[in-house]
Amino acid sequence: MTTVKEPGYGFLRNNALSLAFGALFLITLVGQAISGVADFNAQQVADGLPQVGFLDYVTSSSFAVDVMENWQSEYLQFLLYILATVWLVQKGSSESKDPGDEGTESDREQRVGRHAEVDSPLWARVGGWRTAVFSRSLGLLMGTLFLLTWAASAVAGWAAFNSQQLGQRQDPETFLGYLGQADFWNRSFQNWQSEMLAVGSMAIFAVYLRQRGSPESKPVGVAHADTGQTG
Amino acid sequence: MRRRWMLAGAGLLAVLLTGCAGAGEPDVSKVATAFEDPSGDAQARCDLLAPATLATFQSDASAPCANAIADVQLPGGEVSSVEIWGGDAQAKLGGDTLFLTRTDTGWKVTAAGCQSRGEEPYDCEVDGP
Repeated sequence: MTTVKEPGYGFLRNNALSLAFGALFLITLVGQAISGVADFNAQQVADGLPQVGFLDYVTSSSFAVDVMENWQSEYLQFLLYILATVWLVQKGSSESKDPGDEGTESDREQRVGRHAEVDSPLWARVGGWRTAVFSRSLGLLMGTLFLLTWAASAVAGWAAFNSQQLGQRQDPETFLGYLGQADFWNRSFQNWQSEMLAVGSMAIFAVYLRQRGSPESKPVGVAHADTGQTG
Repeated sequence: MRRRWMLAGAGLLAVLLTGCAGAGEPDVSKVATAFEDPSGDAQARCDLLAPATLATFQSDASAPCANAIADVQLPGGEVSSVEIWGGDAQAKLGGDTLFLTRTDTGWKVTAAGCQSRGEEPYDCEVDGP
């Protein structure tokens, strides 16, 4: 791959996609916090309990579990999609490789080791364990982030569950006890199923539908049977 | 080593999310003990009740709390354990269990004279709505 330098393109334009989603993430996170504290306090009033301040809410287990349970499922979605698309294809989908290309492909196709090019990343060129790690770095990072956020989701869910238990005049659970509770698995599965639906829908919708100009879509005039083209 | 760091991280997160559990334990113990003390000042004991629990108690007793609190038999005893999760707490005494909530003016009792019913919620002598 060669580096293309667009003359006159500044930092903002070159990174517009990441920056836009970074900003949208922060805006929607604040939106979640503001609506979350209002919802939490409405429940507190209904239970005859004191309301909490914004800072208390955003540092509470209730907010943490709501954030973490969504993060973990997003990272799981990307991890599974990254790994599944190595081996599974969807004929006609812009999200897929061509049927017959399943697998990790040859070093020449992947431009690693002696097939690397001058501008290939160093760890793609050097071979050995560094190339092996770099070859899987995207999946490794997504997998690590999934495990960390799932663990955080479990700990935050445990704290929120125990707070709820005490509010209902019931004994708190141990951490291991919580991992066996329906609350933990229900929170996990309800997020996972929506991610699997989104990924599956995108893979198949991309066969028959187009979004002109989007690299997530095939060019408008490309045949439904053409796989792996992006527009 | 890595596992130890992960456990430490989980522990730290748990402490943050439970509202620095250890820090509030003496306060919860103090409120629970004072509320259960039959020789304590009646009004001072009533002031330790959460508003909703106080209202329910007075409604059930058809009398001001200070007049009715002495009639409630609470087993009391030494505090054997305290659990704090977020803004809620549970204090176990020798013969009794109390539930408390954190307010701007400190911990308040939401339920007292509670007896375990296993998986079911505790059965409490004094409780909110």
